[in-house]
Amino acid sequence: MTSVRKLLYSKKIAPYVFVLPFTLTFAVFFIYPLISTVRMSFQDILPGQVKWVGLSNYRRLLGDKVFGQAVFNSVRYMAITCALLIPFPMLFACMISSKSMRGAGVFKSLYFLPVLTSVVVAGLVFRMMFSELPGALMNSILALLGKPPIYWMKMEYPSLFALILLCCWRWTGMNMLYFIAGLKSIPAELYEAAEIDGANAAQKFLRVSWPLLKPTTIYVLTISIYAGLAMFTESYMVFGNNTSPHNYGLTIVGYLYRYGFEKLRMGYASAVGLALLVGAMLINLAQLSVTGAIGPRRARV
Amino acid sequence: MTRSVPGVRRPLDKPRGNLVASVILIAFFSILALLIMVPLIAMALGTLKGGAELWRNGLNLRPEFGKWSLKSWRYLFTGITVDGEPLPHSYFTWFKNSLVIVALQTALTLFISSFVAYGFEMYEFKGKSALFLCVLLVLMIPFEILMLPMYVQANSMRLLDNIWGIMLPFLASVSAIFFFRQYLSGLPKDLLDAGRVDGCNEYAVYLRIILPIMGPALSSMSVLVGMGAWNSLLWPMLVLTSMSKYTLPIGLNTLFTPYGNNYDLMITGSCFAVLPILALYIFAQRFIIDGLTAGGVKG
Amino acid sequence: MKKCLALALAALMVIALAGMASASATPTKLTLWTFIDQHAKFYNEMAEEWNKANPDKPIALEATVIGYDDMHNKLKIALQSGIGAPDMCDVELGQFPNVLLGEPQLVALNDALSPYIDTIVPSRLSIYSKGDVHYGVPTHVGATVAFYNVELLEAAGIDYKTIVTWDDWAAAGKKLKEANPDAYMGNVETTTQWQTSLMLTEQGADFQDNSNPDDPKPTVNTPELLKAVETQQQWLKDGIAFLCPGGQVDTEEGKAWLNTGVCATVIMPEWYMSRFVDEIPDMAGKYAIAPAPVFEAGQPRSIGLGGTGTVVTLTCPDIPLASDFISWAKLSELGESTIWNVMGFDPVNTAVWDDEALTHNPDNKFNKYFLTNVFDTLNEVKGEIKYVSSTSISPTINSYFSSTLWNNLYIDQLDAAAELEAAQEAIEADIF
Repeated sequence: MTSVRKLLYSKKIAPYVFVLPFTLTFAVFFIYPLISTVRMSFQDILPGQVKWVGLSNYRRLLGDKVFGQAVFNSVRYMAITCALLIPFPMLFACMISSKSMRGAGVFKSLYFLPVLTSVVVAGLVFRMMFSELPGALMNSILALLGKPPIYWMKMEYPSLFALILLCCWRWTGMNMLYFIAGLKSIPAELYEAAEIDGANAAQKFLRVSWPLLKPTTIYVLTISIYAGLAMFTESYMVFGNNTSPHNYGLTIVGYLYRYGFEKLRMGYASAVGLALLVGAMLINLAQLSVTGAIGPRRARV
Repeated sequence: MTRSVPGVRRPLDKPRGNLVASVILIAFFSILALLIMVPLIAMALGTLKGGAELWRNGLNLRPEFGKWSLKSWRYLFTGITVDGEPLPHSYFTWFKNSLVIVALQTALTLFISSFVAYGFEMYEFKGKSALFLCVLLVLMIPFEILMLPMYVQANSMRLLDNIWGIMLPFLASVSAIFFFRQYLSGLPKDLLDAGRVDGCNEYAVYLRIILPIMGPALSSMSVLVGMGAWNSLLWPMLVLTSMSKYTLPIGLNTLFTPYGNNYDLMITGSCFAVLPILALYIFAQRFIIDGLTAGGVKG
Repeated sequence: MKKCLALALAALMVIALAGMASASATPTKLTLWTFIDQHAKFYNEMAEEWNKANPDKPIALEATVIGYDDMHNKLKIALQSGIGAPDMCDVELGQFPNVLLGEPQLVALNDALSPYIDTIVPSRLSIYSKGDVHYGVPTHVGATVAFYNVELLEAAGIDYKTIVTWDDWAAAGKKLKEANPDAYMGNVETTTQWQTSLMLTEQGADFQDNSNPDDPKPTVNTPELLKAVETQQQWLKDGIAFLCPGGQVDTEEGKAWLNTGVCATVIMPEWYMSRFVDEIPDMAGKYAIAPAPVFEAGQPRSIGLGGTGTVVTLTCPDIPLASDFISWAKLSELGESTIWNVMGFDPVNTAVWDDEALTHNPDNKFNKYFLTNVFDTLNEVKGEIKYVSSTSISPTINSYFSSTLWNNLYIDQLDAAAELEAAQEAIEADIF
């Protein structure tokens, strides 16, 4: 007994004990499932029935237009949210950090409220705001502009607008905070030097803030890419379920959910999951080679 | 003029910019704040108008004082419906379930992840870099891609419909490990030796010396983990099957159905679900803002 | 002191023993999921009745209402994984093929159903069956009828009783539009196909060819379906029908819209009358019920649509008890009359339709709401009630319809023939 104790306490073994929780989780919830996914991707699995089907799941995937649409939707959503959620929060952060700004704390707190609101609650509220009832918020705004009510969630761009707006609403405050923190770490002397050189606000932004915010920008970009590509709950909540007109709201994860859990085609869904895994690795490799750094992603909890 | 956020950079004796710019900035940010508040205000108004009004006329910003009543709030707290009939609901069961999961998951994740991070940062051992590469690998792959095999695994481990099934896969959270390791790398290593000289064993050094000085990192990570646990929908939705074990997001989601009259509960319940987070936020504002920002950018 | 204690203990034991002797059998706990509030109320009521009638095998029913998508997804996951399923569950017709995939993890109910099987409409059993094995207990026939807003029509000088064909109906719609520009003769659905199914079966067609049950084939590009959808497209162009808010009338938005009183006709299964009574309160006393229009006089005027089959899962702790209870609750005479009295549904036992005391009870809230008695219409169309097949490919067909086809046809007004061809192709590609 004491020898076990001694071994456990020894400086040689201790490090392995420390990393054991991760090693176990990795083996049990990552490696093992991954292996079984590879196996399942060659099977057709129904309740009480398992059949080996060779490559047919992969063949099906190649010819599936709906999968292509899901990928397109996710990529488009990711691109638009990145295009909006980086420049604007950065600009706002610079403005709110300006010397002339008063009461910045109050505003930061207010902008942070949506971050705290859960996706489910936010999704419910947005669904009701974008309802097709003439009295609902977005249709009332159209009425003020003299336009007839529209079917927001049945049309491609209006429904995309709803999803993008939800995303911007939730994350503008958060991304602002990242940039504010980035600005904080820029030494004040740099701005003073720029002022002495006679730089105006725009020049100070372009010459000092922008280049020195690069690490922050890369970080925010990384988490935005991941969050954008992995989006599911927002669409699920705003459309009310995982089916949407013309699959406008179908995302990559929604597609996985549809085949894995709604249609109970676990074999096919496994093939889809593996294809996505490969895709994610490729994106990471690309990112590594572009930025030369491994950025941590959105909190994984 | 006091600033509510501590640690803000400028000493007070600096020149404070010009007045016109101040007015423009404050006006701009006030408008932005108003826009951001719109959905929350609409939700609060919706609770006063009640569920029936919601599905007849939709959620909007019209005050319509004549339609205001606290009946849907009464239903939330007493289980007496708008029509005066008793109709029990499970909202507070879900609420309690969520609180339990958030508390347990946050505490365990912080402890386990910092434990692992300590191992990675403070020791040299065989296989360390390979193992840390695995951390990065998991970090780079969204959980959603793996949800299907994880589900199958959770099923074979009899973890379905069990709150441990919700938590276990995420207790050794890779982003927390990464963040804590980053934080620990900034600490002087002689602390350890000081501890060992005091007769602490390897684990006691972590428990008695390192854990206490990780306070700031732990508190900021607790916000991230806690928020994630409070909001999480997809995985708990897969794992839980009994209504009595639902978390708040799953429960609220079930209320939005054309086949039932649950809109009163849904709208007040949604509004009420924001409150505890809001209270926590007001209470721990400085940790949240400093922590969230410190974590990412330096990493 | 010791004596007192001993006495007290003895007394306690006596009480405990007496309690044990007098208590009847302990109720068996059974869980049930449904996605409709009214169903939960009905099951609770029937559980009480069951306990009165069967004191030797009482049950403690725990009925839970869960949202439609959530409930079906959870059930499918639970059946797949073998854990977490309820003992009994309402499964909506459109979802039923999904729970029959592979080897159904459900109890064969043939024995439990045998006392009632001769009296029920056979097509309502077969939609919940795989081969000869019945897995679901039906709730109602769901015979489709027309609900006419008499007040609105009379104000425009229209007598709904004269409407026989869709042409009559459309002509009436134009007349209504002239008299009252805010009113609509009917609606067009974009997320489901109640009306379209009726228009299809009137012409003797179906969405699929089910002649080989092991290999059903979609038949979406048929002239019959083309006629049904082109007719509806024309209504929209003429402004006599409105794109239904919420996608169909059985949604909150749809019901709210009907409650505004601008819609003259609702073509829906009989069970929709319960939605009228419970959720469209302002239209009480305005609607009459009649057979639905047809393309040509003489075509069958009704179709059984919608419905839920209640299943018993293999993980249920007392399968015989649950099977007996659920069959009894839904199909016994008491169950059938309660289904009408409490939920306002047309019972699957059509013999009940002739029970005047039950069906024409003037105090019945469903009878009070409408100007005519629903069973008069039901008995009139009794021999004409068709159905559409429900097979393993039905979910694929339905999901393409609701996500794509109806949107293209009615919102975007695209060319119907081309869209139906595209639909046929897409559905064929999506079948496993």
